Amino acid sequence: MPTPDVAEFLRDVRIFQAFSDADLAAVALALRERTVRKGQVLLREGDAGEEMFLVRRGVVVVSKAVTGPVEQVLARMGPGNFFGEMSLFDREPRSATIQAEGDSDVTLLVLDRASLEALIEANPRAAASFFHALVQVFIERLRASTDLVAEVTRWGLEATGLDVDAR
Amino acid sequence: MTDKAAPRRAKLELLVRKPSADGEAEGGYEVKEVRSALAFVQLRPQRVEPETYELAEVSSRVSGQANYILKNRTTERYLLLSGPERFLWDQMDGHTSLQDLATAYVLRYGQFDFDIIPLLIRKLQRAQLLVLTPASRLRKVLARNRGRHLVKMLENALLVLERVNVSSRSVDAFFRRLYRWGGFLFFTRIAAVLCVLLAGAGLAAGVKLWHDAESITAGFGHNPLLAILAVKVLFLFTLAAHQLVHGLALVHYGRRVREFGFTFLHGFVPTFYVDVTDIFMTSQRARVVTAVSGALVHLVLGSLWFVAAMQSGPGFIKAFAAASGMIQWQAFVVALYPFCFIEMDGYHVLVDVLGVPTLKGDATGYVAALARGRAPAPATREEWLWIAYVILSILSIGAFIAFNVWLIVHAT
Repeated sequence: MPTPDVAEFLRDVRIFQAFSDADLAAVALALRERTVRKGQVLLREGDAGEEMFLVRRGVVVVSKAVTGPVEQVLARMGPGNFFGEMSLFDREPRSATIQAEGDSDVTLLVLDRASLEALIEANPRAAASFFHALVQVFIERLRASTDLVAEVTRWGLEATGLDVDAR
Repeated sequence: MTDKAAPRRAKLELLVRKPSADGEAEGGYEVKEVRSALAFVQLRPQRVEPETYELAEVSSRVSGQANYILKNRTTERYLLLSGPERFLWDQMDGHTSLQDLATAYVLRYGQFDFDIIPLLIRKLQRAQLLVLTPASRLRKVLARNRGRHLVKMLENALLVLERVNVSSRSVDAFFRRLYRWGGFLFFTRIAAVLCVLLAGAGLAAGVKLWHDAESITAGFGHNPLLAILAVKVLFLFTLAAHQLVHGLALVHYGRRVREFGFTFLHGFVPTFYVDVTDIFMTSQRARVVTAVSGALVHLVLGSLWFVAAMQSGPGFIKAFAAASGMIQWQAFVVALYPFCFIEMDGYHVLVDVLGVPTLKGDATGYVAALARGRAPAPATREEWLWIAYVILSILSIGAFIAFNVWLIVHAT
């Protein structure tokens, strides 16, 4: 069960910023708290899952398998950030591995599909602002992903000395 | 986010998982940054197969210089190469990294015009005359045999050790202070005379000790192997002194010390190192002095140990001092002896003096090809030099191993 100050925490979370106090209290009730010990893997790429997570304390590392034991670090997420929403919506396996960074334990708030559907049904107006904020974040992440693709491509060109100007 | 105004050096951030004791995942992880610049200097460009290209010399009657036409027989593309570019092309055998290539270029032409290397690589790539191979040869062999449990363990161990690198790139000021506070004394005539005198005293003491070797080694008591191990550990720290003197020599010749540190060479040889690249900007004499000065540390220390052993009464201290003197003198010889397939100080002096910067690679490549019947019988001076280098190195390594085995057997 989340602590009473969860609603207060949610006030600063971007996807809930347009929520009224009553809406926030309802969301707080729908969330469950989960702790991940430092260094522990919360979920792996390819796992099934129908929950999204909000980081309350600590930092998680988001990574994607490259080869053998090597993964590429895609992002780090701290308090107020969320992840896992893709599987929540498209029911596909997890697209990345999430692990608590080695410095401290991580506290997460978990929202499952049933709770989300109940919230949408009970308060469509709040749901609309939630999805609007979600789309804003998706756009930012998409931009970051395209930047990352460009950065990785540049790395490859610099690392190999490949000259494509003249090709 | 990409910084459009001022592009930073590209890097990849990788998360590398460590297996746990029971072989499962969840054994922790390490985040490692790989910079593209580092990856680039470790590349080993390889020219295409000999039957794929043709090389012809074109001499200019005006400048008197030779140029070369390189033809890709497959794509029918032609490239004009200058003399230095031809030299670099010859080094691109898939074994020489770009870093080694740059060193070879400086030794051969005495210039730091490194732009020639990436420009040539691009030119060759456009003409499809080049293959780029990353990573070390040892690691490639291990990776190929990763299926074997022992190889996998060895690879993991090397991986861990290779990451051990304690170094600093802000050491130049430290070396300058060290030079001002007395380091300059190492490069005076008095120091040279003292070194010769000490070497003489050490040699005399060493010869005398040699005759009593049996009674001296008895001083190790019941744990001779443990004592020899202690001697080796102590010796490791004198390697730091060796590198410090290299750094001081750089300061002496007005050049900059770029880096000093400790690492495991190839993942298993603990070693201190100093980056002396800047010495290539000076004279051959400066390069030779810089190379030799580090090795002289072992000569001096070895002599002092031998003299100390002479002055000590029978027992552990005498044995320890004699063994330390022996290992220091061995290090002196190994560091300056050029024929051992290891690119130590003596090797660098040899290739610098001969003007053959890629001697080892060329020699091993030629002899290996000769052994497989893929190279013509030696006819030129260069080919005889390669054969002599390989034979001398094999004989030297055999003698060195035999001598050490004999020493250990004798001590135990």
